Amino acid sequence: MGNSKRITLQQAAEIIKDGSSLTFSGFTIWRRPFAIIYELIRQHRKGLHLIEVNGGPQTEFLVGAGCVDIWESCWVGHELYGKYGANLSRKVGSKEILVEDYSHAEMLFRFTAAASGAPYAVTQTSLGTDIHNPEYDTLGRAGLRDGKRFPKQKYVFSHDPFFDAGPQVLVPAAKVDVAVMCVQQVGEEGTVRVSGQYYSDPEAARAADITIVMAEEIVPEEYLRREADRNTITSFEVDHIVEVPFGAHPTGMFGRYDVDGAFLKDFYGKTRTQEGFDAFAKEWIYGQDHMSYLEKLGWPRMLNLKANTAVNYSTSVKRGA
Amino acid sequence: MTSEYAKPEEFGLADLLCCAAAREVQDNEIVFAGTGLPMVAIMLAQKTHAPNLKLIFEAGTLDGRPPQIPTSVGDARCEMGASRASGLNDAFSIAQRGYVDLGFLGGAEVDEYGNVNTTCIGDYLNPELRLTGSGGNPDINSFAKRTVFIMVHEKRRFTPRVSYITSPGWRVKKWPEGEFVHRRELYGSAYRGGPSAVISTAGVFRFDDETGRIYLDTCHPGKSPEEIREMCHFDLDISRVSGETLPPTREELHLIHEVLDPEQIFIPKVKPA
Repeated sequence: MGNSKRITLQQAAEIIKDGSSLTFSGFTIWRRPFAIIYELIRQHRKGLHLIEVNGGPQTEFLVGAGCVDIWESCWVGHELYGKYGANLSRKVGSKEILVEDYSHAEMLFRFTAAASGAPYAVTQTSLGTDIHNPEYDTLGRAGLRDGKRFPKQKYVFSHDPFFDAGPQVLVPAAKVDVAVMCVQQVGEEGTVRVSGQYYSDPEAARAADITIVMAEEIVPEEYLRREADRNTITSFEVDHIVEVPFGAHPTGMFGRYDVDGAFLKDFYGKTRTQEGFDAFAKEWIYGQDHMSYLEKLGWPRMLNLKANTAVNYSTSVKRGA
Repeated sequence: MTSEYAKPEEFGLADLLCCAAAREVQDNEIVFAGTGLPMVAIMLAQKTHAPNLKLIFEAGTLDGRPPQIPTSVGDARCEMGASRASGLNDAFSIAQRGYVDLGFLGGAEVDEYGNVNTTCIGDYLNPELRLTGSGGNPDINSFAKRTVFIMVHEKRRFTPRVSYITSPGWRVKKWPEGEFVHRRELYGSAYRGGPSAVISTAGVFRFDDETGRIYLDTCHPGKSPEEIREMCHFDLDISRVSGETLPPTREELHLIHEVLDPEQIFIPKVKPA
């Protein structure tokens, strides 16, 4: 298998260099590539530029560990389990990180542009808001808008030249070096089958120069090709694959396991201070690997999160008060 | 299980907000749901007066009818029973195309023209506190015909000038100068409407059709108009108060606590003394 796309978790993290721009699969607290996130932290990656349709716990772990210099997105938090991103919030206050704010639809359309090879997208969202305040162009203020790694402008106002529909906003394509996906199944040649909502995964995978797919299981390619209409990402759009069961924990995965709300709540509570984050990272990340992490979580915890295969979510996990 | 109204000791504030929100929904509408209490409200409307409403979850579930309440819009519980489970490109394209009648949103601050902030407290460039950021708040508020905001009522949150306009109200900033203009001027043919109500923990507020200025419509039980005016930093118009916010019915309380949110994920049960 000279052309094998299989790599290890450690190799996957090594592909992401210091200073890379990076995006992820998933949505807020669902299907985030945590095993690779943890490995990046263990490898002390620096200077990352995250470009995310929306953020979540993965943002908070990388930001807390000091891996991130720039975050371009629209939202970060832990949904029900933590109302905002406490690490990001603290580092915005101390000016240790640059944040460029767009709206959620703007971020999504930026990825659709990049994924179709277009330099920009056009939309009518968020007109009249401070998202378009010219004073609040963070990357411009930092002198980074070189027209190469960073778009020359944050956005441009235009007018519909075809039907006179009025004001439009042009937003630049979200060009990223690496997309790290976390999915249920990938074939040996790279074909991806996502089950459940696929969020903005197809756009993220296609926008990136290098796409790494971390899957619960690597399956025979021919198995996926028997029903090609159920597949989500094309074989040749994927550069590397790695099999990591329970790799999204503490986020959830449709049909496989639920979000570990207690874990996220505990994490959020401790991220109010840098010391709290550092202690959490020391306990759960440094000195661990994926298997020892799962061992530490333990069978009872993981079985409780495990999805019932008839309904695709856990029927035993405690969710409420 | 009747349509008679519950007594004050039989419901909590979250029940009242949920029912007030549900009553903003009309049958056959396409409704965009955010995470939290709005999900319960919309599903309550679906089980009472609006059985034909169509529900969209931002993460990509279209015409959803989840049998169990999702805890967020990315939840595996969203899909079951839906017309389609896809992604954000569908959800936002459908919204921008103009399908959405109503969206439920939240906010940390609101001004008298319905501009909402979820980004930061204090100067954006030197914030006192960085919040979550916009999420889909400005998008739904730009694309939908009506939006309803559900907010905790504290005086500092009802302010003449929000720290940062995350989501556009009726009078918004025209760039590059930032002077305030009516949103109609900015949205061109994409103009469909805007904020129609704010449901706070004190009362229900609406906006004047002409001026876009906020006024008090109903007071929650136990609150007077004067008291609510004192709870705002701007000069609240209390000349158009139509009465008290209607309490939940016994049937609504049964649906909320026994059918929709029995796990008390979003709405705690009030145990009668």
